[in-house]
Amino acid sequence: MVLRKSMRTPDVVVKKRPRLEDTIYTAKLFFKNRLAFVGFVITMIYFAIAVIDEVYPQWLGVSNLNSMANWVPALSSNVPTAPTLSHGWMYIFGTTQFLVPIFPVMLAALKFDIGYSLLIVTIGALFGLAVGTIAGYFGKIFDEILMRVTDIFFSVPFIVLAFAISYALGRSLNTVIIALIIIWWPIYARLTRGLALSTRSMKYVEAATASGSSGMRNVVVHVIPNVLSPVFVQISLDLGSIVQIFATLYFLSVIQGSQLLPELGNMISRGQTYLPQGIWWPVVIPGIFLLIFTVSINLMGDGLRDVLDPKLRR
Amino acid sequence: MLVNEIDKTKITRDDYLVVQNLKTQFFTSKGIVKAIDSVSFSVKEGEVYGIVGESGCGKSVTATSIMDLVPDPPGRIIGGSIYIDGFDIISDTDKLVKITVKSETDVKIKRNKRLIKRHNYIISRIRGKKIAMIFQEPSLALNPVMTIGDQIIENILLHNMVSISESIIRRETIKDQDLDNFLSEASAIKNHSDLKRYVQRWARDFGMPDIEDSILNVLSSNAAKPFVRKELVELIIPQRKGVNINIFKETKDYHDDLNKLLDLNLKLLNSENKADTAGIARYEQEVKNLERQMRTKYLTFNLKRIILKKTYQRVFQEEARRRAIELLKLVNIAGPERVIDSYPHELSGGMQQRSMIAMALASDPRLLIADEPTTALDVTTQAQILDLIRELNKFTGSSVIFITHDLAVIAEMCNRVAVMYAGNIVEEASVDDIFTNSKHPYTTGLLKSIPRTDINVARNLRMESIPGNVPNLITPPTGCRFNPRCQHKMDVCEKSKPKLVDVGDGHKVACFLYSDLTDGDN
Amino acid sequence: MELRYYIIRRLLLLIPTILGLTVLTFLLMRAFPNYQLVQGYINPHSSIPVSVQMLNAEKALGLNYPPPVQYIYYLKDLFLGNWGQMSTTFYSGPVLRGIEYFFPNTVQLAIFSIILSIIIAIPLGTYIGARPNTAADQAGRVFSLAFYAMPTFWLALILQIILGQDVIYGNPFGIFPIQGSFQPTSINPLHPPSWLINTQLGTVLSSPTHLILIDALIHGDFAVASSAFMSLVLPVVTLTLTLLAGILRFVRAGMVDAASQEYVKTARSKGVPERLVIKRHIRKNALIPTVTVLGLLFASLLGGVVTIEYVFGYPGIGLFGLNAVLQNQIFGVMGTTLIFGLILVMANLIVDVVYALIDPRIRY
Ligand SMILES: Nc1ncnc2c1ncn2[C@@H]1O[C@H](COP(=O)(O)OP(=O)(O)O)[C@@H](O)[C@H]1O
Ligand code: SF4
Ligand SMILES: [Mg+2]
Repeated sequence: MVLRKSMRTPDVVVKKRPRLEDTIYTAKLFFKNRLAFVGFVITMIYFAIAVIDEVYPQWLGVSNLNSMANWVPALSSNVPTAPTLSHGWMYIFGTTQFLVPIFPVMLAALKFDIGYSLLIVTIGALFGLAVGTIAGYFGKIFDEILMRVTDIFFSVPFIVLAFAISYALGRSLNTVIIALIIIWWPIYARLTRGLALSTRSMKYVEAATASGSSGMRNVVVHVIPNVLSPVFVQISLDLGSIVQIFATLYFLSVIQGSQLLPELGNMISRGQTYLPQGIWWPVVIPGIFLLIFTVSINLMGDGLRDVLDPKLRR
Repeated sequence: MLVNEIDKTKITRDDYLVVQNLKTQFFTSKGIVKAIDSVSFSVKEGEVYGIVGESGCGKSVTATSIMDLVPDPPGRIIGGSIYIDGFDIISDTDKLVKITVKSETDVKIKRNKRLIKRHNYIISRIRGKKIAMIFQEPSLALNPVMTIGDQIIENILLHNMVSISESIIRRETIKDQDLDNFLSEASAIKNHSDLKRYVQRWARDFGMPDIEDSILNVLSSNAAKPFVRKELVELIIPQRKGVNINIFKETKDYHDDLNKLLDLNLKLLNSENKADTAGIARYEQEVKNLERQMRTKYLTFNLKRIILKKTYQRVFQEEARRRAIELLKLVNIAGPERVIDSYPHELSGGMQQRSMIAMALASDPRLLIADEPTTALDVTTQAQILDLIRELNKFTGSSVIFITHDLAVIAEMCNRVAVMYAGNIVEEASVDDIFTNSKHPYTTGLLKSIPRTDINVARNLRMESIPGNVPNLITPPTGCRFNPRCQHKMDVCEKSKPKLVDVGDGHKVACFLYSDLTDGDN
Repeated sequence: MELRYYIIRRLLLLIPTILGLTVLTFLLMRAFPNYQLVQGYINPHSSIPVSVQMLNAEKALGLNYPPPVQYIYYLKDLFLGNWGQMSTTFYSGPVLRGIEYFFPNTVQLAIFSIILSIIIAIPLGTYIGARPNTAADQAGRVFSLAFYAMPTFWLALILQIILGQDVIYGNPFGIFPIQGSFQPTSINPLHPPSWLINTQLGTVLSSPTHLILIDALIHGDFAVASSAFMSLVLPVVTLTLTLLAGILRFVRAGMVDAASQEYVKTARSKGVPERLVIKRHIRKNALIPTVTVLGLLFASLLGGVVTIEYVFGYPGIGLFGLNAVLQNQIFGVMGTTLIFGLILVMANLIVDVVYALIDPRIRY
């Protein structure tokens, strides 16, 4: 008997699961990771506080959250500096400069820290997504320009670039936000460019192109859905970093003109002056509050990456 | 038809490997993958045993289970025995972990760290030495940041310390008597190729394969005997390193003792498995004694080894390197002196696979598992690698388990074949029987799907393949796992599972068409 | 040598990046009106009248020409070492000289921290990465995540509270100074050492290396040397902890990834003992991806330097730049941005070369 060619056995064909079922499965996997789940819950609590701040500021005892001065107690009252419960929940963590109670200001700060960070990341991500997809998909000169421009952005440390750009633009809160957006979009441009490049060479996109589907249509139908989940993961990981950078810029007093904004970095910066008197809580407590958030959102982001990245998914 | 139950295979002396009721599962987040569901077979000394089946049938899991290399988590061998050279290497599976299955996706695995550590220690001394394995994708299976040479040398130094020490000692202490013996024996050989082989063996035994060719030249120069002797001495003297041989003697003793210790540990393990208290006590005592003995005996040796680290290791490295080059020659690699210092990515797929084979052979294993060694290679290279494996099997006399999804390759390579489907062996027979007298509907289906040149060109165009796919092994079909794709399916096939039975001449089938309908597991 | 050509090629590739960097800093400067720019060229101590100096500066900057030509002028100035003047409470004088003064301190801080964190992170990452999901691994992950997510300035303050001298009264651990690169109390005010120059701005400079620790050792002044060493401890520890957290994450991830590769299975199938499988086969491969992210980590290290120098009042290039920002010194900001950019670009070059050296698959 003469046997020649190899027998070609059919590969196991995996049936494509319907989208909804897939999403539910992904969510199940995500929540099975206990750390990621805890991170998710805490992050959601922080987000919820930020939203409540926005819609019902009165819950923190003032009508307007925009200035720490609003919490300055009337001169007559005998306000404690150290943490105590005897003066109500607002004084549970004591007071900081001008006898401003730490706890409500900390809660109010979430509106600004989370709000502005979300704004920065979202705009940065959208812009980066658009530029990166186009560069990755259409390539050539556009791609080359993008790579060179982003190279320059990546060649200066973030904080220093933030200094420089916000300085050039005027060091106000608004310009710092603009500066951070300018700094942040290249990350997303690079990320989506890489993803778009690999999507372009996938079989089904090639097939769509061959059958006459137009470039822009392909981008919308095939490329964007493919880059969304990595971008989402990146956003959740970046939110923590942006909050940190934002607080750092406040701490270093790079941002001028709103020195009384309830903001965690600002609060720590103010509390710092009392350290030599042994008054540690104005520094330690807002820091822990911030740390809990950045750790949680990182846990959540790591968990998301684990379930959304097919390579890591088991 | 005489039907013999062969559930408990009897272990005969010439069975090098015996697998009994092997069960391997993967505990994944989607459920438990019942990848291997009670597999039994045995491999004799020197034979080439084939395992064939579609992809996903559990061939690789069978192979990795034999090496005890199932990735954990998620996988575990959960039952059965694997006898290698008479020792059951997985006898302690139950003790290593406690698995509590609450539901398919909720499994608690509790590991006994101390026992696992001991198990891994023992098994790592069996791996490579008694069984070696080569993999499907040589480009992934070779470490990308180590040279080919370093990877082979690593293996040689792990397993061949005794024989390396021996040849170093011989080389350093070669006496007039040895030379005279050699010369007189050589002069008695008239045939040139015999002489060549004799010289080769002698040179290797005395740790100087580099001067093989020169020795041969001198011997065949027809010069006067005293002259030949003088020439030989001149060749040999520069080969000697003038090292202190005591340390090599100690090295040899040390590794001999290590091997003894391993044997004792294996015996201890087997007694534990059989709950043989007398045996346990005896071997425990012996292990303890030997360990204590070794501690005092090698106290100074261990110190010396550390102090003389550089020179000591260099001698071994050099010797191992020579052997690595020999191995590369053995697997027909051109320019072994160059290849030995290359990194894997600098070689072609065929060369990589040859290097893998050389590496596997480094420790003279008596069983080689080849898991689809040619699937990733192009057709010409495929044929060369197959030839090589067959030659080596003849040359070294070691057994081979050859895994493939390609029946044509099986026909070329193997003595006996097992056909696997969805984690079971469904048929086992000699190669001739499988091709001329296949019984199981799955085997018949596989055979039909091969393009055959001897029958009919027209048939060739309409290659039949088996309808359907290998089932999902989380929820495999009940009864006979092949039943959803089987044309001969009966009612009983869904209810109970057919056992592998002998239908004569060692031809075994697991199908109700050939066994009693009552003869199954519910 | 092939490697030499690779390095030369990489050096040539730096040129466009560095030019891009200068374009960026040029654009930053052009955000300001001319009269502000000219300020940076004026030396108040000079005998030349300020109005003449202003005119000269306008000419020197090429402000009468269109921007592309101005850029050429700007490049020329950069090359000639004419990086403008600045005047802050921290430092006054030519920007380039300020960089020369304060740069060594930053380098010292960075080098100590890099070495320390690598020495700790690689063995620790190997250990926990080889035992994923054990208690040790969980602890390592929590540690690295916490320090990774912690704002550097806060960590610095916390360390000051716990270990800083005179921060919390009666704290037995509070033995490290929290401000400056050394303590003035360590010098005899009647006979100040000649190698210490007081700049009258509260900053003390030392010669010849501008590193007080090294200079004190050179001059055999051990009181100053030990004070300089103690002052270095907290900044170095802060920077090390943040960097360590980052490297540890990557080493661990690299280990876990490498451990699942096919060649590890091969190594085990050869009978290599587990200890050697980890050391020879897994770790070597795990460190390669780690090296590729070192560039990124270095960028975050430089960011951390600014904050740490601010919190500890440590006279480095970060504090120099921050003062320039806070006190509106255009040329100071420009110079700082440029110098940080150059450091990062060079660091990335080194990372690439190391990568090429340790990964045989890179063809150069
Ligand atoms: N690491 C793993 N995790 C989960 N399932 C696995 C794993 N490895 C193998 N399997 C499952 O085991 C079965 C047998 O696989 P395998 O032995 O690789 O098949 P093949 O016969 O092609 O070598 C398949 O169903 C596969 O899904
Ligand atoms: S047991 Fe039944 S289903 Fe299975 S192969 Fe035989 S006939 Fe087909
Ligand atoms: Mg396989």
